[in-house]
Amino acid sequence: MKVLVGLSLLVFLVGISYRLYGWLTQTVLTTDRTASPGRLPSALKGLMGTVFSGELLTLVKTFFTDVLLQKRLLSKSALRWAAHSLIFFGFIALLLMHGLGTGVSEFFFSDYLSTIQPYLSLRNLFGLMVLVGLGIAIYRRLTDKPQRVKSYASDWLAIAIVGAIILSGMVLESSKISSYSAFTTMAEDYGDITEPDELMPLETYWAAEHGLISPNIAKPYDPALIEEGREIAGDACMECHAPAQSAFISYSLAKVVGPIVSGLGDEGMVNFLFYLHIIFCVGLLAWLPFSKMFHVIATPTSLLINGVMGFKEPAKDPANELNRRMIGLSACTHCGSCSELCSSLMFYESFQNDFILPSEKVQILKKVAAGQNVEDQTLANLQKGLYICTSCDRCSEVCPSGINLRELFISSRYQLLSQGIPETSMLSHFSFPLSLTRNFIDDHKNALKKLEKIFKDSFTRLKDLTSITVSDPVQVGTTSYQSCYSCQRCTNICPVVRLYDDPEVELDMLPHQIIFSLGIGNKEIAMGSQMIWSCSTCYLCQEHCPNKVELTDIFYNLKNAAIKQIEGGRA
Amino acid sequence: MKLAFFQGCNIPIRIEQYAVSAEAVLKKLGIELEIIEEFTCCGYPVRNVDEKAYIIPSVRNMAIAEKKGLDIMVICNCCFASLQKAKNVMANNPELAAEINEILAKDGLKFEGTTAIKHFLSVLHEDVGLESIKKQLVNMVSDLNLSVIHGCHILRPREVTLFDDSFVPKITDELLAITGAVSLDWRGKLECCGAALGGLNSELSEILLKEKVDGALAAGAQFITPVCSYCHLQFDTTQLNIREQQQNQKVLPVLLLPQLLGLCLGIDEKVLGLEQNNTIEPAHVENLKSMLGPPVEKKKKRKKRPQKAAA
Repeated sequence: MKVLVGLSLLVFLVGISYRLYGWLTQTVLTTDRTASPGRLPSALKGLMGTVFSGELLTLVKTFFTDVLLQKRLLSKSALRWAAHSLIFFGFIALLLMHGLGTGVSEFFFSDYLSTIQPYLSLRNLFGLMVLVGLGIAIYRRLTDKPQRVKSYASDWLAIAIVGAIILSGMVLESSKISSYSAFTTMAEDYGDITEPDELMPLETYWAAEHGLISPNIAKPYDPALIEEGREIAGDACMECHAPAQSAFISYSLAKVVGPIVSGLGDEGMVNFLFYLHIIFCVGLLAWLPFSKMFHVIATPTSLLINGVMGFKEPAKDPANELNRRMIGLSACTHCGSCSELCSSLMFYESFQNDFILPSEKVQILKKVAAGQNVEDQTLANLQKGLYICTSCDRCSEVCPSGINLRELFISSRYQLLSQGIPETSMLSHFSFPLSLTRNFIDDHKNALKKLEKIFKDSFTRLKDLTSITVSDPVQVGTTSYQSCYSCQRCTNICPVVRLYDDPEVELDMLPHQIIFSLGIGNKEIAMGSQMIWSCSTCYLCQEHCPNKVELTDIFYNLKNAAIKQIEGGRA
Repeated sequence: MKLAFFQGCNIPIRIEQYAVSAEAVLKKLGIELEIIEEFTCCGYPVRNVDEKAYIIPSVRNMAIAEKKGLDIMVICNCCFASLQKAKNVMANNPELAAEINEILAKDGLKFEGTTAIKHFLSVLHEDVGLESIKKQLVNMVSDLNLSVIHGCHILRPREVTLFDDSFVPKITDELLAITGAVSLDWRGKLECCGAALGGLNSELSEILLKEKVDGALAAGAQFITPVCSYCHLQFDTTQLNIREQQQNQKVLPVLLLPQLLGLCLGIDEKVLGLEQNNTIEPAHVENLKSMLGPPVEKKKKRKKRPQKAAA
């Protein structure tokens, strides 16, 4: 067993070191190439700067409010806060009181013995807390989970392992309660009782009142023997062993578990369950650094950083910004809070792209950061998902783990745009808030240029036409264009047309010409014209048209169709 | 009266002072606002890409307000137009309406069309009324010349937005008139700020903006008063970005309608967030305050009470 524990501890420590090393060396889709050797000193400098400054108080405050009491989660959902707190405090209490062995408990309580009260009951109580918390978590994942957020195997595995530790512990305890071999060993080793005339009453008493299943005695128990046994127990056992009922769950469980265990051979079963329990525990320990359970280390770190820095300004030292991004990625527990409140939530319904949801973006970014191979198509979807974002920053505001999702997403977005395929969503108003911040100006312009080229290559333009043909009416969402009598009111009132000395050259086609081209059945030249992408959508033309031609609406329709054609050409 | 306050995406993170000042003014006038966490983007940003994707979010937002039995109040013109457009589509395109309702059913929502969409300006103008605002004024301004830019999507297309007269709008001017401010006649009043081209055709977007800034300055405006959040961001952020390259050019500061109205209602300037407007400098605020005086046709100026609670 020591080998098992030692081995898992080794795996744990190596894993943690590997993850911490990752924090300071890995990058995720960033244009910033700050060399990794610079990142450790930067991290230490940042840390020292915080600790030895007025920020220390903020740090301590954040530790209590955000890390221990999880205020951010509470403000999100009381139920989820309850679930997490039950698991968190229950598990930590079990770990300290029970898991880390008697050393820790004796340090605080000199009379500690695992078999006396209140420890016997507390163990069950803490276990129950974890189980209730897990129950709520499972319920939430099944019924009340954030809309459209998927649960992955890794999410279930985390719940399963923690649950397995608690349940195996409880079953183990109940098997020991009922086990005859455990009884005889304890009677001999601790009670110093070996004589049958003492053993028999004691056995009867433990069977009658403490759930022991003995092969030697059967119901109905002799009341006289019970009383005799009670007296012997009072001298020999009770000083160091509280009544088994104190372990209120395991005792009840023993009624079911007991007969099975004794049927299968109680000595072997107790041993088996013991190893099972240990294997789950060391399994969690070894698995922790490589799973979402690593959040027990990363999330407090992320919360502390967030408490000091917030998310609205990037770190002063670019190296620390990279560090923070990596810490943020490992702090994500895939809880889905961000996606639940994502402003772009409903765009998922139209684009069917998981990566529109922030929680799902983080999942794939984790893979990219870890150097896993991600298909080009997946990266293209990620790029689109990253772009279909209103920059409302609600995700960063609500993240219970304090991850600076904004920086993570902006930087990944531009890295993908600089290397990936031209992104048609750049032609949406999602580009507007990006243009305000004036970050990544050149990256943005270059990505737009790539896109412009595709448009130029994809459509015939008016100037390319050598003759005019008349075709069937086109589909542009309305037939109002058929009422046009070419008065050119639209072109004359257009605030964009009037900006140019030579608008026909700059815009390819003027508004009335676009309507005319639709009239003769040529949608292609309309879709390829610069006019629709220079339209400020002010609706003056549509409002002033004497024949109620819905020009601006038609321009929107043409833009939609042009993008659809480009996207379709890729498939 | 209680309304669901639809803030959109820009206002809470980039123009918080617009929401806070509007809320403070309305509270003073007896209108309560509820912020609904489940509201998402109105859909407007995606309109160039996919019309249906543009409609769906607004229908959902209205269905959420419907479920709560509230009408919606909007400040941003683009959110306003998106909600009105979605409402229009749901009434006139039964096929699409059925399809969208099927999507909403996943969230246990259904659109019936009972929620009214009100712009902040019409809430002031119609639901509160000019007369009852006047009664509450503790200050009026004198010698204040403003250029209002209505923004496009509140006025047009008139069949969809159903707001004011799209050719000769009067709501905004009448609201400003009761504060004593002069709303100038100027060329850009009903025109485009260029925001719709920002980030996809920024050069053109900035030309359109510059045209408006210069036009308003030439008309003698001391402040520009945008209605829409997109116009606001153009004047309050993009303008400064442009001015960075043209240092000697004058900056036209932004003053929002609820900020001005709030000052006249005696609300503290800190609450109204005047200094959160990027283009406003302390001197502008001082100048504005010096213009405040007791309402002309009213009795003496009442002593200003601290209005912290109004926040």
